[in-house]
Amino acid sequence: MTPTDELLFRLADDEYVIAERYTEWQIYAPTIESDLALANIAQDEFGHARLWYDLLEERGYEEKNLLWERAPEDFRHSTLCELAFEEGDWADPVVRSYLYDTAERLRLEALVDSSEPAIASRVGKVLSEEGYHREHAQSWLERLSEGESRERVQAALDRLFPHALSLFEPGENEREIVSEGLRTESLFDLREEWFEITIPYLESLGLSVPEPEEVERPEVRGRDGSHTADWFDLHESFTSTYHELGFDQPTRLRGEGA
Amino acid sequence: MDLEELKERAGPRAFSPKDDLPEEYRKAATRMIQFHANSEVMGGYLDKQFTRQAPSLDRKLACTAKVQDEIGHAQLLYRAAETLGVKTREEMLEELERGEGKFLNCFHYPVDSWYEAPMIDFFVDGGAMRRQATLKATSWEPYAHAMDKVCFEEGFHVKHGEDILRELMGSSRANRERVQETFDEWWPRIVQFFGPPNKDSKHNDFAQQVGLKTTSNDELRQAFLNAYIPKAEKYGLELPDTPRIEYDEHSGRYELEYDDLDWEEFWTIAKNDYERSAEQIGSRRRRHEAVAWVRESMDAWETSQETPQAAD
Repeated sequence: MTPTDELLFRLADDEYVIAERYTEWQIYAPTIESDLALANIAQDEFGHARLWYDLLEERGYEEKNLLWERAPEDFRHSTLCELAFEEGDWADPVVRSYLYDTAERLRLEALVDSSEPAIASRVGKVLSEEGYHREHAQSWLERLSEGESRERVQAALDRLFPHALSLFEPGENEREIVSEGLRTESLFDLREEWFEITIPYLESLGLSVPEPEEVERPEVRGRDGSHTADWFDLHESFTSTYHELGFDQPTRLRGEGA
Repeated sequence: MDLEELKERAGPRAFSPKDDLPEEYRKAATRMIQFHANSEVMGGYLDKQFTRQAPSLDRKLACTAKVQDEIGHAQLLYRAAETLGVKTREEMLEELERGEGKFLNCFHYPVDSWYEAPMIDFFVDGGAMRRQATLKATSWEPYAHAMDKVCFEEGFHVKHGEDILRELMGSSRANRERVQETFDEWWPRIVQFFGPPNKDSKHNDFAQQVGLKTTSNDELRQAFLNAYIPKAEKYGLELPDTPRIEYDEHSGRYELEYDDLDWEEFWTIAKNDYERSAEQIGSRRRRHEAVAWVRESMDAWETSQETPQAAD
């Protein structure tokens, strides 16, 4: 895989998988308004996934190999995106989205001046939508971090934080991605910046953030194709109808408002 | 205004929250709009499964957007119902949870396969479109206003549902057979979607007299059959033998043999007593209760934000 492809797969797979999980909350969210808001975010993320997968298609891939017939161990998303939700655990999508979208902004900002023009030209649209996602997560975090619900937020943070670290796990081409200027910052530096933003903010809400260097990391890292069991279940559930139907091609509806 | 005067003045968008309306009207309108709003929620409940099953990224986006639209419609409709001053949205949602809220017959049947997507998204939604289009002329102005937006969006849903059907029926023989089997199962429910024959309808007369409904069940069903039987046939579906439906060349109408339909099941469903209704409603209640803690903490948070002002 070329460095550009690796970079694109990380972007696209993160967005696709987290959106797939967010849609599980549709109809189940605590209120009608929160249902609509999270559905908006899910659709944005699917839209971003499509934008990056489209770019991979321009580079010779096909949708069926990008999503439907790709083996689950070939997906490169962070394990943060794939974890199953526990029923009723609304603190999870709130914390997950905060951790993810903060990292996402930093990553996209480091792509604005990418040496690959096809990437640089697409970043603006994605960045403009991510701001709303962060505001949404923060407004929920601030509300839920007061009173009795704080324990639930803390539990979600303890569970998700180690997985969020895999957002910054380098892939095999990390050195080339930086040296060729595809991304203008290393994952190590992005991670430091992410710590500088997320840790003080979460602490200001009265939450305690696990010590990054001491926290026990899951053995699976996502970026190398190793994933939690939740991912293999999810992959099976979103690809099974595709296989059952046996269509020649996944259907495109571009230009029809879809 | 009293009921007699109201009946005289009844017409499209004739009444708004500015009018002083008799309780019979406000209750009838609430019942009708609440039913509609509940149906959006419970329809979304079925539809959300198609998002996970969708066999392409574009289809998946269309499915998730549709579920979101349905919740948006529920939001609009509960608001339109609230303006009648009979029940709050919270009360209506609680009734739905307790199994007291009524909703469309088709949404009492669980779905589990993609072959059911066109049943819901094309036939049921197509039926809903017919009904909703006539409600743009309902006498309760906030309801009619909500219908403007709902109808616009439903147009896209039905188009997508039709495209799913077209795609399935143009694919392998095994797929076509599965769609036909699914259609055989769903068709009687879809025909019942428009409710009982006029003579058995409890609310039809009053609703029409006060302009809440502009078209009877039978007329709506007729319009639906006229439009959708040719479409089903165009894609290669065959109508099941029952219920018997004969086209009368003379009158240009489809004559339906009402007795071929299972009205006992229909009425059991209408009372939420059907076995599978309990599953659908119970599953929704479980989900709604699982996030009760969030609503409680939002209330607590809002109260804490208001306290300093209250002290002023």
